[in-house]
Amino acid sequence: MKNKKILIVDDEENIRLLFKEELEDEGYTVDLASNGFEAIDKVKNNSYDLVVLDIKMPGIDGIQTLNEIKKINTNQPIILCSAYGEFRQDFSSWASDAYVVKSADTKELKQTIAKILTQNG
Amino acid sequence: MKSIELLGEVIEISNSNLETNSRMKAILNIISYRMEFEEVLVFKLDKDKRLTCSYANQTSQLYQLLNKHRCHIGEGVIGTVAQKRVPQYFIHKDIPPRFGCIFFNELDDVIYNYRSYAFIPVSDDSFLYGVLIVISRSMERINDNDKILLAIIAREIGGLLKTNDLLINLKKRISELVTLSELGKILTTNLDPQIILKNTVFTIARALNAVFASINIDWSIPKMECQRFVYGNLNGSLSEIVEDCETQAIQQKKTINYEYYNNKDLPVKKIYTLYSAPILTKNKAIGVLTVCFSKPGKNFNQNEDMLYITTTITNYIANGLENILLSAKLKEVIKELNETQKRVIEQEKFKSLGEMMANIAHEIKNPLVVIGGFTKRLAKKVNLSQTENKYANIIVSEVARLESILNDVLNYVKEPPLSLEECNINACIEDILYLFTSDGSWERVKITKDLDPSLPLILCDVQQMKQVFINMILNSFEAMNGKGEITIKTKNIIDDENYPQVMISISDTGGGIDPTIIENIFNPFFTTKEKGTGLGLAISNKIVKNIGGRIEIENIVGKGVTFKIYLPVKKNKNNGEV
Repeated sequence: MKNKKILIVDDEENIRLLFKEELEDEGYTVDLASNGFEAIDKVKNNSYDLVVLDIKMPGIDGIQTLNEIKKINTNQPIILCSAYGEFRQDFSSWASDAYVVKSADTKELKQTIAKILTQNG
Repeated sequence: MKSIELLGEVIEISNSNLETNSRMKAILNIISYRMEFEEVLVFKLDKDKRLTCSYANQTSQLYQLLNKHRCHIGEGVIGTVAQKRVPQYFIHKDIPPRFGCIFFNELDDVIYNYRSYAFIPVSDDSFLYGVLIVISRSMERINDNDKILLAIIAREIGGLLKTNDLLINLKKRISELVTLSELGKILTTNLDPQIILKNTVFTIARALNAVFASINIDWSIPKMECQRFVYGNLNGSLSEIVEDCETQAIQQKKTINYEYYNNKDLPVKKIYTLYSAPILTKNKAIGVLTVCFSKPGKNFNQNEDMLYITTTITNYIANGLENILLSAKLKEVIKELNETQKRVIEQEKFKSLGEMMANIAHEIKNPLVVIGGFTKRLAKKVNLSQTENKYANIIVSEVARLESILNDVLNYVKEPPLSLEECNINACIEDILYLFTSDGSWERVKITKDLDPSLPLILCDVQQMKQVFINMILNSFEAMNGKGEITIKTKNIIDDENYPQVMISISDTGGGIDPTIIENIFNPFFTTKEKGTGLGLAISNKIVKNIGGRIEIENIVGKGVTFKIYLPVKKNKNNGEV
């Protein structure tokens, strides 16, 4: 899991910080974006092993951001991570690899990230 | 002079305003007195073409014998005179005349007391009304003068009987009209259908002087307990006969009549006449009226009249019943609509409350994740004492509890359990449109419907389906800024794999959607409205997908948008075959 680069996209600063620290503890390199536009910019200029996307964001929302990122790199692994649980079933139709409901317990997020990174070598 | 005086008196009586019976009697008495005939009788031609001895002079002795029996046209002297309309005269030396029917043989014992007879037809130019008979004990032969006089008087009597017939008819028609108008009043009240029918039966029985009357209804009126409404007693062998008559009337689609001799249930033989008339609307029997009369003696002669009046009454009832049926249906529909409206308003309230709760839950959740997440980190990073560690764990576990409460709230609000049932999509749309069109802010929106009545039922959650249509229609409304035209169509189609589908299209004239954003409109939280949550179309899409359907968009920039919802008819992703 060393040297894997993850981009966290969330409009809440403290969420970004929490996820960054939790994932860095796992040994990942973490980059941050506070909105969709910033995330698209970063994906254009960098290469990430995984993008963790919030859905509800001001400006351009998570799904739109996802579509834009897929236009830049079709194979970009993406996890949708939202406080809403009710769209959990729909993630595959939005071409995302997984859907995680945000929780103070980051175990599920970490497990999902590990699984997807393993799948993609 | 004598004859002119006599004629003057007859004409005076004939034109007086006495009862017909009294006028007849007075005229016959004058003939008897002035012309010296012991017997002056009038046989009247009844509706059934038989002659009855109906009037006689005061001192007549033969009347009691003659009025026991009736005679046919062509039968005996009376019948022959009636048929040929030519007077006949006899004297006792001739063969004693056979008056009329053979039962008059009782006359044989008294006939030798009389010497001369005259039989004069009572008629005007076109109709025969009866036969005038004058008999004398003393006169050898009736002279020519008297013959002429009697012919003139017979004509006058004809006029009198004619007027009487007209008067009786008029009275009958008036009483019919009164009955019908009473029925009309009853049938057009907006009382309970049961009460209306009870009143109808009662009115008919009373107006027609029937022993009993019954209306048997062949269809179910909503909330009506019984199908038969009866006035009077309907029991024993009579009820079987009534049912039999009713069946015949319905089958033949015409009024039928039946005579019934009751000698089982009563000591005295009693005769009843039954009339059963089908109540027809659009040539279909929706019920049957039966009236029963106890026969008032042998001169009962109402058959044709009763057939006519029962048929007329049933026509009236048919119209009334159709109105009752319509108004009962209308009441049901209005009630249902009111209930639906209440329910939808409740749902709308619940929905906006739910949305508010969802927003709050969402807003709380982010800080909660942060609090819990960092507390965990704190406990991990810092070397805490046992007590401090315990406190940190309490915070973490309480945050976890709050999170699960929030998840429950969000799930409860957003995903009510599906209750699948067979739903009439057209009715669903009508319900919603009713709500919208009763709202003043929709005044400037023209709604055009083109709903295919042959649409099959669709297995879905009706409330959710309504939510979809409400979302779509509200979307169109907002896209047009509350002014324009919304067209709603439903249609049967076959999909690429040959499965039947129902297509519902909702088109607006709102100028269409910017093509650059069209692919995002089903995304949750995507909105172009200032106040929108961005969940309407996302949730609609989800509901439609849940039952195996799909939504397509046809966008014409500058014109408008058409949402097409396709729903499967038989197969359902979750439930397989319906």
